[in-house]
Formats: sequence, structure tokens, C-alpha cells
Amino acid sequence: MAQIFPQSANKFPLVLALAGVVLPAAAVGFVWYYFSPRFTDVGYQPVQPVPYSHKLHAGEMQIDCRYCHASVERSAVANVPPTQACMNCHLLVARQAESLAPIRDSLKNGVPMRWLRVHKLGEYAYFNHRAHVASGVGCVSCHGRVDEMEVVRQVEPLSMSWCLDCHRNPEPHLRPLAEVTNMGWKPARDPQARARQLEGLRPVKPPVDCSGCHR
Amino acid sequence: MSAEYWRSLGELEDSPESRAFREREFTEGASEPPDAVSRRTLLGLLGATASLAGLACRRPEEHIVPYVEAPEQIVPGVPRRYATTLPNGTSAYGLVVESHEGRPTKIEGNELHPASLGSSSARVQASVLDLYDPDRSQAVLRRGQPSSYADFVAAWTERAKAHAADGGESLAVLALPQSSPTLARLVADFRKSYPRARVVTWAPVSDANALAGIARAAGRPLLPVHHVAKARAILALDADLLHADPEMIRHTRGFAAGRRVKGPEDAMSRLWAVEAIFSITGGNADHRLRLPARRIPAFVAALAARLRADGLAIDAPAASEVPGVEAGWLGALAQDLLAHRGASLVVAGPRQPAAVHAAVAALNAALGNVGTTVEYREPTDALLPSAGGLGELVTELAAGKLKTLVVLGGNPAYDAPADLGFAAALGKAEEIVHYGSHVDETAALASWHVPSAHFLESWGDARAACGTLSVVQPLILPLYGSKSLVEVTGLLASGEDKPGYELVQATWRGILAGADFDKRWNRVLHDGLLPETAIAGAKLDVRPGAFAEVASAAQALASAPGELEIVFQACPKLEGGASANNGWLQELPDAISKVTWDNPLLMSPATAAARGLKDEDVVKLQSGGRSLELPVLRVPGMADGTLALSLGYGRTHAGRVGNGVGFNAYALRTAAGLDLATDVTLAPAGRRADLAQTQEHGAMEGRRLIREATLEHYKQEPKFASDETPLFSLWTEHEYKTKPQWGMVIDLNACTGCNACSVACQSENNVPVVGKDQVRRGREMAWLRIDRYFTGSVEEPGAAFQPVPCMQCENAPCEQVCPVAATVHDAEGLNAMVYNRCIGTRYCSNNCPYKVRRFNFYNFTKDTPRVLKLVNNPDVTVRARGVMEKCTYCVQRLSSAKIDARLAGRELKDGDARTACQQACPAEAIRFGDLMDLESQVAKARSSDRTYALLAELNTRPRTTYQARLRNPHPALAAAEPVAKGEGHA
Repeated sequence: MAQIFPQSANKFPLVLALAGVVLPAAAVGFVWYYFSPRFTDVGYQPVQPVPYSHKLHAGEMQIDCRYCHASVERSAVANVPPTQACMNCHLLVARQAESLAPIRDSLKNGVPMRWLRVHKLGEYAYFNHRAHVASGVGCVSCHGRVDEMEVVRQVEPLSMSWCLDCHRNPEPHLRPLAEVTNMGWKPARDPQARARQLEGLRPVKPPVDCSGCHR
Repeated sequence: MSAEYWRSLGELEDSPESRAFREREFTEGASEPPDAVSRRTLLGLLGATASLAGLACRRPEEHIVPYVEAPEQIVPGVPRRYATTLPNGTSAYGLVVESHEGRPTKIEGNELHPASLGSSSARVQASVLDLYDPDRSQAVLRRGQPSSYADFVAAWTERAKAHAADGGESLAVLALPQSSPTLARLVADFRKSYPRARVVTWAPVSDANALAGIARAAGRPLLPVHHVAKARAILALDADLLHADPEMIRHTRGFAAGRRVKGPEDAMSRLWAVEAIFSITGGNADHRLRLPARRIPAFVAALAARLRADGLAIDAPAASEVPGVEAGWLGALAQDLLAHRGASLVVAGPRQPAAVHAAVAALNAALGNVGTTVEYREPTDALLPSAGGLGELVTELAAGKLKTLVVLGGNPAYDAPADLGFAAALGKAEEIVHYGSHVDETAALASWHVPSAHFLESWGDARAACGTLSVVQPLILPLYGSKSLVEVTGLLASGEDKPGYELVQATWRGILAGADFDKRWNRVLHDGLLPETAIAGAKLDVRPGAFAEVASAAQALASAPGELEIVFQACPKLEGGASANNGWLQELPDAISKVTWDNPLLMSPATAAARGLKDEDVVKLQSGGRSLELPVLRVPGMADGTLALSLGYGRTHAGRVGNGVGFNAYALRTAAGLDLATDVTLAPAGRRADLAQTQEHGAMEGRRLIREATLEHYKQEPKFASDETPLFSLWTEHEYKTKPQWGMVIDLNACTGCNACSVACQSENNVPVVGKDQVRRGREMAWLRIDRYFTGSVEEPGAAFQPVPCMQCENAPCEQVCPVAATVHDAEGLNAMVYNRCIGTRYCSNNCPYKVRRFNFYNFTKDTPRVLKLVNNPDVTVRARGVMEKCTYCVQRLSSAKIDARLAGRELKDGDARTACQQACPAEAIRFGDLMDLESQVAKARSSDRTYALLAELNTRPRTTYQARLRNPHPALAAAEPVAKGEGHA
């Protein structure tokens, strides 16, 4: 009687086993990384209508973040500055620059600028800048070294687990209130010096419940 | 079921429909689409889904659009609050309105203002939605064609010349009743320019009868101001003091204050109600007598006779017995009124004839109440309502005497008495100018239409019922360039097109005469009122003969033919039709009948049974040669023979929400029978119509949900409401130790069931409107419903009201069944609902014993017009399809209060965080706060002896608890009342 299965059929179990383990693992790994905010969001760097350089303004010229993002201490949102704020300086500086034409047009015609949002949370998450800044969380903790970016990009995943990492252990991310907008500030290594740095801060108790951010 | 408390006649009769509603979590067909989805649509939907799926991989671009020039004071993301005023006829409510980046979103009462006292009503809450009504008129129309205001001004200037020549002989203005110094000044200017012109007022429902009656008694028209808080014995004669009355906020606050009981030693006021319809006031009365509306004059005559016999010095003639009124009842009432001379109050409703109001004024004077519980003040700056003026105007119109008619607000083509022929008479005038918010029934007949601005877009001023002055301050520029009433009146008066701000300021330069005008003006704008401008009550010299007159009025009514009567009542929600396009109000269940989106013919069960009628049977109602077909709804406790019709429905030009909703009751209303029609016939039409009632929805089966007792019983057994059941749990219970621990206590003894909380919740939490068909399927979305229970017999029931939000159970049954942990507890005791996790299994709703979870069966907000999205609260998620939602204790307000306190460097204190329902409640029945703070109002209320939890036996440990209700029956009648002892359900 002829054999029903050819010799090569002996490899089938091995192939099946491999396919059964490796392929699902690969699929899971693929989704795990490529669907995560770490891949999809980090590095998002849209081209803005005006090539505004944070590196120049916040870095080299050392303009404080709050000169433009003035509502950050008072509001849930850190505002993007009105056209007028740009023109406070640019009425005197780089008046005729080609790249500033949209800003001048905006002021002249009363049509607002349309900047592209870089840092975006889900609309079901209610982040509050005011509460974070007042607790001593530096801008850099979430936005990265904006003072070194020619074009702003997202450097942190801004995912829920990333938020919770800090909410569960906020202490390493706190700094004196005077240093909140200081991009280059470093926490002291020496525990005693570190303790002195955090003196005077309000005791923090960040919410870790759903209702803290979702409503 | 022999329940002592019952939700509906269906439940009492145990009808199959009622049982089905109680037994099923979601009604039959609850998962079906509203209309059959055709294969074609389905394929279209699939295609759309596929294309969306393809897009989903790319991050969508989102724009940030900052200001060009930042407005001073506005910080993006921080709401601002401004004081303003909502004028309402001869009264006004002082408000504080929240504005997000210049768009008004939420209305609250102004704590300084005497008419709102920091609270509001359902109508006040919903008025913000009218601002964003997509069907508002958006352009000046000339014979239906778009024109401009400049053209109108030019045309008016031309006409004005001709009218000025003959002193306005052929000119008439039809206005709504007002109480505003600026309008009064402009109307006076108008009369100066056109001394022979007619200025007539018309409002379909007004205090015209009361004013006429008081004028008869006192010799001149005076406005009554009632102080319910000071009254110990209150008699409401067909008067819905606590709901339909324009001053319901102040009355409710006063009523609750007069009955607030902290312990068994406290006293309570007593409310007597005599009425034909079952009203909120009747539902809250200690003694309620149902009496056809036409017998109420006879009742007043009988009461006066009885009071005279008992020693009150009045000139009341002897009166015969009134059928349906027991001598014992009348005697007890007379005794109560006499025992509280100077602290009693008699009020008659606007439907009652002038003779009744005159007699009531005389009674109040004789009882010594004038100056204490009731004041009669001079109607300064008011344009008073008059019942007869419209009739005279129509006669002149029909005779061709008028060339120009200006309709200054209102919609007389819809709401004028049917026998006047107003619409037909309009054709006789050359020019009809209509000023209004919508291109409505009247605008359709007018040659000019000028869109009116919403009060949040207008400058103006007003006097509250007590006379207190306040300014109407706009929060936003007119969305469609509409003009305010002050501006249009100014144009009519002087021919000059001046901005409203100038006109109002011109008046106030007189009011605030003296130095520092700007400073004091700004103070008025900031505070929302000018303090100490209430007008003191005038001395009332009652003319004799009022009681003889009411007796003869009673005789005339008694001899009217027919056993049926139609009582016309303004729908307390729709203001006689003006708010018909307001979805929040249309979907709000009626306080007693729990009907949404409709105005059925209400009658007592016995009246229906005698004619073989069941609920939803359509009848043909005939009166005075006119007829109307509409469905029937039986309401227990109505007077037999009384048919109640709500005005304000059946609109044809209201807009997309209000068109074709309900039935136009104005079709049966005549000038002679504005309040009451007696020549009525009723015949079945052989059809049935669907009504969307919510009273069977969310039933919690026959448990001890409402707990009430008489004051006497409470004194003997203060803890009558509490449960003694020992409770144990299967697992180790969570401990709540951190501050704050949120909790709420609802005092059922204060709650009147007025619905203000329900609409406040809708406004604060972006709760969608779903429509009549969806409500019928039990899909209404209200997070806070008000359960209305009847108690006692079908014929003579009492009522009890119970607001039911999420109980925020510490052992929440919903949390235990959610497969995706979309509803979980937080450290502050909130039962959090995480929309973005919810996958819509609806297990939680199934397991909720209180039935307070609402499910988004559809994307109810998908087709929301753009302008309507502006009303949404930006701090609350707009929920999508397939997501469960429920009361969150306004977690957004808690969050912002906590952050505010933290940034101010202090601890959270009582009153920092208030829920929307708590803030709106005119009775202050809702207490909310931190239970760990033992000094907080909520902690004190929770430890009171009347506190009980709903379904405590389930060991859900609700954070929301109730305080049992107390009744204060007269000792002579206590035994006859349904609530004799402290028992709830059997």
C-alpha cells in the first residue's frame, strides 16, 4: 500500500508549531509597538503656516514661555498667542521678513492664524495646565526641550500609562515654581539639596482615579 | 398590588403595558432603529465605515485658532460670569450667566436678586437654548423677501411722517406686558409723538383678571406681591403658586422655608389647595379639594360667609352650600385662616374671574394679611396686561380705521382668541410690522418682519415683581444682527435709530441722578440690580361689595349649561407657545402627567370612564361651534367634568422642533371664555394616538421609596423613616477615609417637583434631546428624573415627588458587572463613568436598582446644527453612540473647585463645589458637599432623624440619601388624609 502522506509531511508539525507561535507573537508585537502612541504620536512634527522657531525665541533669546503662552498659570489650556503678541516685537524686528507675511496679513485682515496642534490628548481627557504648573511640574516634562527645536515635535507619548507613571510617582518631576519654565533646569542629585529644592511646594496628591481626568 | 403609593393608573390597574415596562430593562424593540433601515442606506453606511477605517491610520490634523487681538479680560479656557436679567412680563429674574470665550452656556440665578435668590426654574434654565435656536429669524423681511434694517428704518420714517400729521389716528402698537423703566419712558415718548395712537397689550396668559379684580377692590390697579415665607396658613384657589406662577422661584423658596423642619420641635406652615386641575401646588398641599373651576367663585362666597359667621368682620352675604365641599372641610379651613390672622395668605389663580380676585383682596385685608404676607404695590413703569384691549383693536382693524399695526413681540395670529378673527382683520391694515424672534404665524401675515434679539444679546432694564430695578446686560453681540426691544421701541417713539446701550443709559442717568454715574452704573451691572428699589406696598382701602359680587358671579357660572367645562392652562413649560421650539422643554416630562412632546386632553378617570374613554383615545372636542381632535389622558385627582387643555402646542411656524407637536388649544379659546368654556361636547373620534409618557419608566417596583408622615406622627416618632435592617457584605468593604467624600441629601419635604434641577442638569451636562418616538421607547436621556407618586385613592389622591439622580453607591452594583471596568469607584466616593472605555453591554443599567443609567442608543448629537453646538459645556464630554452615561455629581465642577482651592492655598470649604441641580433648586432641597466635614450642610442633613436611603436593604450604601416628607394636616381633618402615619409602601 502506497503511503498516504509524502515524506515531507513530517515537517508539518514543526511548521505548524512555528506558525502557531511566531506569527501570533509577531502580530501582537506589531500591534503593541506600531499602534502605540510611542510610535504613532512621538515625533509628530507638522509643518506650521509660519516657520516659527522655538529654538530661536525660547532658546537663544531666552523669552519666557509665559510671554506667549500667557494663560498657562490661570487656565486649563495654555493658549497659543494672538497675532498681536507676535507683532509686539515684529513691528520693530524683522519687519519685512518674507516668512512673517501670514502674520502681518492676519493682523491687517483680522483673520486668525491657523496653527497645527502638535500635542493632542483624547477629547475625553481633561488635562489642566494650571494645576500642573502650580504644583511645580516643568514645561519640559511633557513638551521636551522645546528651546532646542527648530520645529516643535512631540517627544513624549502622552498616553494614559505615561500620565499615570508620573501621577503615581510625581516627586522626581517636581521643581521649584520659579524654575517651571526653565528648560535646562536639572534636579539636584544630593538628597538634601533636592529636598531644599522642593521646599515650599504645595504637597502634591495627583489623582489616579478615572474621574481625575475623564468626565 | 395594594400599593399605598403608585406611579400611574396603569400600575394601579396592573395593565399589561405597565407590567412590560416594569419588567424589562429595555423595552421591546429598544434596540431597533427608529425607522427600518433600507438595504441601500445600509450599503451606504458600510461604505462610509470602510472609508473612515482607511483614514484612521493617519493622524487627523487639528488646528489651533488663536485670537488676532486678544480681548481684554478673556483667558481662554476660563469661563466668565456676568449678571443680567430675564424680563418676564411684569416680573423679571436676576441671573448670573456663564460664558465660555464669549458664548453664554449656563444660566444661574443671581443670589442678590429678590426674584431669583440664586436659584432658577426650568424655563429660566432652558432660556439659553433659545439663543442658539437654529430656526430663529435671521433677517429683516419685506413681504417675505430678505431686506435690511436700514430699509425698515427708511420705510418707517416715511410712514411716521404721515402718522405724525394726524397724531397717530390710524396707528396702533400691540405689545407684550412689560415692566421696564426704559420701555416706559419710550412708550411715553411714543404717546407724546402720536397722542391718538393706540398702545394695547396682549399676552395669551396674564394677570389681567387679578389686576382687574384688585382694581375693583382697591379703586386702582395694583400688582400683588406674595410673601409665602411669612404665611403660616396658605389657601391657593386654582392658583399654581409653586409652578406656573411667574414668581414660582421666590414662592417655592418661601414655601420651603416655612416648612423646613430641623427637628421634631419645629413648626410647619399649612397649605390648602382648591383646584380643578392637579397642579404642583395641589400636589404639595396638606389639604387638597378638587372642585370644578366654575364652582370656585361659589367656594369663595361660601368661605367668606363661613368666616363672617366665625367672627371675621366682612360684609359677606349668606351663601348656599357648594356641592363637593364638606362643611367640616370649610370649617377647618376657616378656623385655620382665622387662627393665623396676619400670617395667612389667600391667593387666586389667573384663570379665576376678577370677582374672585376682588374677594380675595378683601379677604386678605380683613384677615390682616396686607403688609405682611401680601403687598399690593403701584405698577410703576409697567405696561399692564389687559384682557379686552385686543378685542377693541381687532374691531378697529376690521372697520378699516387702522393703517399701520406694529406687533411688538408676541404671536397674536397664533394665540389670539379664535372668535376675534385677528388674522382676517390684519388684511385690512396697509402695513403690519411684526417684531419677533421667529418667522412665526404672525410674521407670515405681516408686511414687515424685524427679528428680535434674545435677552442675552440685548440691552434693557426691568423691574422685578417686587419693583427691584435691574439691567439686562448682553453677553454676546446679536448672532444675526437682530434688534432689541428697546431699540425698536426707541425707533417707533422718536424716529431715531439709536443703540440700546444709549437708550438704557439715558434712562439710568435719571435713576442714578447725582455724582459718579459711571461708577454706580458699573456697580449695577456688576451686582445685577440696584438695591433698595423695591416698591413698598400701598395702603389697601377695600371697597365694600366684593363678596356680594363674587356670589353673583358664582350664581351666573352655576347656571351655565352643560356638565363639562374646559379649563385653559398655559403649559408651564412652553409659556403659551413662545418656547415651543425649545427641545429641552418639549422633552421635559410634565410635572404631574409626565407627558413629553404633547398636550393631551386631561380629565379625571371617572369622567373618562363615564364616556368609555381610555388613555390615548382620540376625541372630538367641541365648544362654541369650534372643534379640536386630540387624545385623552386620565389624571387622577382632577375634578369630575373638568377637561384641561394646555396652551402652546400645535404650532405651525415654530421651527423644526415645535412644528406639529401637540394640538392647538387656542382653536377653542374665545374672547369670552379665555379661561373657562362651559358649552362643551365630547365624542370619541374612533382613533388612537400615541403619547410619550415617562411615568412608567425607571420603576423601582413596589418598595418603600417615598417615606412620609404627618408632623404629629413625626413628633411622636422622629425616626419613623429610618431602616433597622442589619446589613452585611460578602467581601471586605472599601474604606473611604480621605477628604473630601462627596455626598448628597435631598429633602423631600422641601422638593415641590418643579423640574428646575432636571433642566439644569441637562444644560450643565450636555444631555441630548431624543424626540418623542425615542421617549416612547424608554430612551430619554435625563440624568436626573423626578418620580411622581400618587398616594391614596384614585379620586382624591395626594402626590409625592422624588428627584432621582445616580445614588453614587459605595457598593455599586453596576461596577460589579461591567466587563471592561468602564464604571469604577474613585477615592472620593464617586461612581465614575468612563465613556471612552464603555463598550455598551448595558449590563450596568440592568444591574442598577435605581434605574438611573441612560444609554446612547443612537448618536443623538450627530445632526446637531452647528449653532446649537455652541450651547454645550466645554468641560463635559459629548457622548457618542453606544455609550452608557449617568449623573456624575457634576464631577467637572468638583474638579475645578478642588483646583481653585488648591491654587488659592486653602482647604476646600463647604459650598465651594455645588452641583447644577443643587444650584438651580428654588426650594434648596438638595444639599451637596463633603460628608467628612461634619460642619457641612450635607453632613448635618445626613445625620438628621428623617434621613433614609433608597433601597437600603440592598446594601448599596448610596451616597445620595433622602429626608422623609412631612405633611401638616389640620387636626380636625387629619384622619381623612391618606398620609396619617409614618408608613410608606405596604
